[in-house]
Amino acid sequence: MEKKRLDDHEAATISSPRSLDRFGFLVRPDASTSDGLVKSRSAQFERIREDRRVRKWRKMIGVGGSDWKHYLRKKPHVVKRRIRKGIPDCLRGLVWQLISGSRDLLLMNPGVYEQLVIYETSASELDIIRDISRTFPSHVFFQQRHGPGQRSLYNVLKAYSVFDRDVGYVQGMGFLAGLLLLYMSEEDAFWLLVALLKGAVHAPMEGLYLTGLPLVQQYLFQFEHLVQEHLPKLGEHFAQEMINPSMYASQWFITVFSYSFPFHLALRIWDVFLFEGVKIVFKVGLALLKYCHDDLVKLPFEKLIHALKNFPQDAMNPDILLPLAYSIKISRRLEELRQEYEKKNGKITQSREFTEEQTVQRL
Amino acid sequence: MARSDEEYDYLFKVVLIGDSGVGKSNLLSRFTRNEFCLESKSTIGVEFATRTLEVEGRTVKAQIWDTAGQERYRAITSAYYRGALGALLVYDVTKPTTFDNVGRWLKELRDHADANIVTTLIGNKTDLKHLRAVASEDARTYAEKEGLSFVETSALESINVDKAFHTILAEIYRIISKKSLSSSADAAAAATLKEGKTITVAAPHPNAKDGKPCCSS
Ligand SMILES: Nc1nc2c(ncn2[C@@H]2O[C@H](COP(=O)(O)OP(=O)(O)OP(=O)(O)O)[C@@H](O)[C@H]2O)c(=O)[nH]1
Ligand SMILES: [Mg+2]
Repeated sequence: MEKKRLDDHEAATISSPRSLDRFGFLVRPDASTSDGLVKSRSAQFERIREDRRVRKWRKMIGVGGSDWKHYLRKKPHVVKRRIRKGIPDCLRGLVWQLISGSRDLLLMNPGVYEQLVIYETSASELDIIRDISRTFPSHVFFQQRHGPGQRSLYNVLKAYSVFDRDVGYVQGMGFLAGLLLLYMSEEDAFWLLVALLKGAVHAPMEGLYLTGLPLVQQYLFQFEHLVQEHLPKLGEHFAQEMINPSMYASQWFITVFSYSFPFHLALRIWDVFLFEGVKIVFKVGLALLKYCHDDLVKLPFEKLIHALKNFPQDAMNPDILLPLAYSIKISRRLEELRQEYEKKNGKITQSREFTEEQTVQRL
Repeated sequence: MARSDEEYDYLFKVVLIGDSGVGKSNLLSRFTRNEFCLESKSTIGVEFATRTLEVEGRTVKAQIWDTAGQERYRAITSAYYRGALGALLVYDVTKPTTFDNVGRWLKELRDHADANIVTTLIGNKTDLKHLRAVASEDARTYAEKEGLSFVETSALESINVDKAFHTILAEIYRIISKKSLSSSADAAAAATLKEGKTITVAAPHPNAKDGKPCCSS
């Protein structure tokens, strides 16, 4: 009887074993995956190349990351170049913690995460629960209701919402936490989130989530100007069709491309993002528009919006898109535009001053 | 004869608002693509979809903006109320707090939308009968008091979804066709609807002069 029911179930839903891509996302039968690209090349050649890369990386970071700081100080350009080529997947979790500064935060704050998860309560608990099953719903790790994936996602988000009650929980943060949890433990993911939002290495990201979403507004302002300057014809077309970046780019900034972009591309962007900062989000955004420029300038309003949310497969190839992004120079203009925005709108105030010592003191 | 998607008599911009998780995105996907997704992602910012249909014998293209429901997102989503002719204000019949918040959403509309925006109250998820916590009568009474039309829907079971959209589009149509009869200035405004971009019927919104990028389209 029991057996029979199982069979029925299988026949109905998993007649062929559920197929997952190499990152654990469910593959729809009709979807052509990026893996096709890799498979068509000589698999053996790929493996040898990958092994060589991993060996180089292991040497660079040392056992458990012991040589990392030394290497980084000695050869920052080598590190930057290697990261831009992509961090080997098996080392990604560790390297992300090293380059984001989260490893240091973790070591300086033993027991803090546990305290936040177990003993504190958060005003955002219901909001977080409501979104848990709506975060990476097509990934095996997060699919099972109340499974380990959903539980750890909940814990990290709840802990953060207690850690910084001004930010609390905002839709979108789950995608950051979810992506991190695929590469590290709950506690590590939590501290990486802290490092990003509080600005351990780069400018703090918390303004993306504070009341009024001030940093989203600033980034959209900067992005709009960069589009007009780097792609004037497209910029003009956008203006004519009354397209503004809040219609398509808010998600890019709020979730650092983790919301709707192919996962293999999101990971490559995150490698660079954690090392070089938010500049890469602007660059990738511009690169996408540049790559699709000739199609986009022809489209009327509605088709344009659709195209800006559904870029073609070939534009999503990291080995094409990222070199294009690296070639776009924006640092100086980005800074000027930030100042211009601040002059008009005032400086974005942070939720709290943050120093590493304070983290400990406060808790 | 079926007309192509590009031909229409009117273009109406409508916004979907209401608390997070009440089912706005699924109502939209049900209406525009006849799809429902139990595992949909929460909306970040705004999404957009259209559908062209017959309303009172006219071909109307509904241009629908779906917004993120979480309060903090209003900082970006409220810009999209501008120029909207209709608002579908959704709550979840199984979650009383989402109904309690309807008043706050109406205030949002008063603060950011055009004064004569047509608003329909929607109680979604009627398929969850055993979990219902907001009685139809209470909601209907409230809607009448506030001058809103009211429909209960299930995006999951595809109940009343077309009706909800139809109701608001028909109401907008009636107001606009009445206006274009009564004043030539408004007639000109209504006529521009056909162009597919200018869809504000009322006078320019006061916010229009602050130089911020315009989000209506
Ligand atoms: N049973 C039932 N579930 C529904 C219905 N409509 C939506 N849902 C579910 O409710 C959850 C939230 O739906 P969404 O459409 O994402 O909600 P939303 O209002 O767009 O939420 P935000 O994007 O966060 O503002 C999802 O899990 C849906 O599957 C319905 O009619 N019946
Ligand atoms: Mg939604």
